[in-house]
Amino acid sequence: MLAQRSTPASGAAAATRREGSPWTGLWAVVSKEMADYLSSTRMLILELITVLTAAGTVFTATAQLRETVGQDRFLFLRLFTTSQEPLPAFVGFLVFLVPIIAIALAFDAVNGELNARTMSRLLAQPIYRDALLLGKFLASLFTLALVLTTIWLLIAGLGLLRLGVPPGGEETARLLWFLLLTIAYGAVWLALGMLASILFRQPATAAMAALATWLFFTVFWGIIAGILAQILRPVRIGLPAELLAQAQLEQALSRLSPNVLYTEATIALLRPEVRSLGFVLPSQLQGAILGAPLPLGESIMLGWPHMVGLIAGTLLLFALGYVLFQRQEIRA
Amino acid sequence: MRRFVLIPLVLFTLLTPLLLTPAALAQGGLTLFTRFPAQQVARGEDINFPLILRAGTSQIARLSVPNLPEGWTATLRGDGRVIEAAYVLPDEDTRVDLRVQPPENAAPGEYRLSVVAEGNGESATLQLQITVKEQLPPSLVFDVDLPNVRGAPDSTFRFNTTLRNEGDTDLTTNLLAEVPPGWFVRFRAAGQEVTSLPVRANGSESISIEVEAPEGVELGSFPIYIKAESGDVRAEVTLTAEVVGQPQVNLTTPDGRLSGQATIGQTATYTLRVRNSGSAPARNITMSGTPPSGWTVEFQPASIAELGAGAEQEVTVSLRPADKAVAGDYVVSFSARPEEGRSSSLDFRITVLTSTLWGIVGIVLIAIAVGVVGLAVSRFGRR
Repeated sequence: MLAQRSTPASGAAAATRREGSPWTGLWAVVSKEMADYLSSTRMLILELITVLTAAGTVFTATAQLRETVGQDRFLFLRLFTTSQEPLPAFVGFLVFLVPIIAIALAFDAVNGELNARTMSRLLAQPIYRDALLLGKFLASLFTLALVLTTIWLLIAGLGLLRLGVPPGGEETARLLWFLLLTIAYGAVWLALGMLASILFRQPATAAMAALATWLFFTVFWGIIAGILAQILRPVRIGLPAELLAQAQLEQALSRLSPNVLYTEATIALLRPEVRSLGFVLPSQLQGAILGAPLPLGESIMLGWPHMVGLIAGTLLLFALGYVLFQRQEIRA
Repeated sequence: MRRFVLIPLVLFTLLTPLLLTPAALAQGGLTLFTRFPAQQVARGEDINFPLILRAGTSQIARLSVPNLPEGWTATLRGDGRVIEAAYVLPDEDTRVDLRVQPPENAAPGEYRLSVVAEGNGESATLQLQITVKEQLPPSLVFDVDLPNVRGAPDSTFRFNTTLRNEGDTDLTTNLLAEVPPGWFVRFRAAGQEVTSLPVRANGSESISIEVEAPEGVELGSFPIYIKAESGDVRAEVTLTAEVVGQPQVNLTTPDGRLSGQATIGQTATYTLRVRNSGSAPARNITMSGTPPSGWTVEFQPASIAELGAGAEQEVTVSLRPADKAVAGDYVVSFSARPEEGRSSSLDFRITVLTSTLWGIVGIVLIAIAVGVVGLAVSRFGRR
């Protein structure tokens, strides 16, 4: 997939120790890969899907927001969270759309090169495998970020046109954090898709494996978490403490899913009145002013563990893929 | 046939009253009478008798008052003019007014006089009796229900009084007040503010007297002299307004801001201000707070032994949210309660922030993940 590089070869390689940085040529890989992505038909299809979802959700959301009389300090955020039957809110769309885009971008990153027999020619150039893998990952991440930023701007622009209300400073900050969170969510699925492309020689198998993982977390993990919680923390007598322990375990288990992490963090960011994502005892709400929005920093703190989880998950999946790729036989 | 019978019958019934009336009246001669022929009068007052003349036939009746007591005057009036004779019609009453003026120094007692009407060959006499009575001298009396009223310096002292006129003449009285400088007095009668009011003979008027103390008045008793005057007649009363002080504690903050922030696991301090805007010193003011459960609130100082009138003192409150508190806005109520008098409370809005410690932990976790990648790079890096 990568065109041949025409940079002069660096000095002779040492026997055991590497010469120079392992990231030499990283940005060349990134730019070439991005050029490939942005001109591909796959990208065009993805863009069409996203534009459709963005336009559809914004129009239904604004139609509903216009009917609502009354003041809302965070009207602009409602653009992203207002849903109308049969369409879910834009955020709800993103939960399953982002993984599909990410997997579609990354499922043939490595095995595609192997099948096209370009890998050995590519690595004959003075680029380390490190730079190749990271370059491919970064290129797909940047492409994803570009797509998401475009949708984000599209929605903001459409919202401005349809609502006639500009977003306030805090709303803008919240939306920027939301964009970062969405990119971090996409990065997890990118890393997963790339891992699948390293593991499986056939791109179709890799895509199926990644999609199966996505389906597992989207549909089945919630059910499994519930069953596991019932087995591990059974309610024997029916004490509130037992019920609470079971519910807390179920929540903790369900948070292993990136979808849940993303949804919860989104709620914290886009619904300022949400104070806690976990269980709140009535005693903790004594004296609380309900409905008062949290300060921005607190909302970010609320979703911060989720964001950390997503970033760390990305890094670990990438590290795993890296180790596997380094040990792989690439000669065809 | 029937119709011819009916008409004479109807005519007869209609004409009967017309035929009968003049015949009935024509039988009586000249009559002179009045409704109330014997009257009492106070010395110095005039008296009026409305007289009525009747006659069977039209005639001129000459009127006179022959045996008038000495010094008395009598005037006959018809339609407002002084008259001596009246023309009497048979079917109509003729009205004449007799006005009798007793002299100023008429002795009390019974007096008789008669009015004579001389008509066409006949005359009528009306006997009148006037009793002159001694009159009571005018006098005013002030009655007060509660002459001694206690109140705070900024309150209105209200005295309910009754002004009685015990004389036999109506009086218009002026109301006057003599008060310490700066004090203000208002008289109210029937809801209206008045300075003078009429009191009927043997009647009474209730007057509400409202007194207001000047700003910054000292505590103590203040006499208020109230006078009602009408010519030589006067009534006086002395009222007492007793100004007692009371403490009034106000709880505020020095800059008026009623919100603050507190971080979970840390103690936040705010400054409150206790002010006594009352007129007496406040004693033993205890500070208290009603935080949500699990929170701790401490005041420094926890109580104020004495706070003089107009004085203020700052109180530092240390607040620590519960370790399991959820971030967001809470209302905590602080109050200052003096031993006597009303307590003052203050609703303080506290934004609870979570500790940034967990944010740092998150960054450390990401750093560890990056370290894992770095480790993999150095361990598995190929040449």
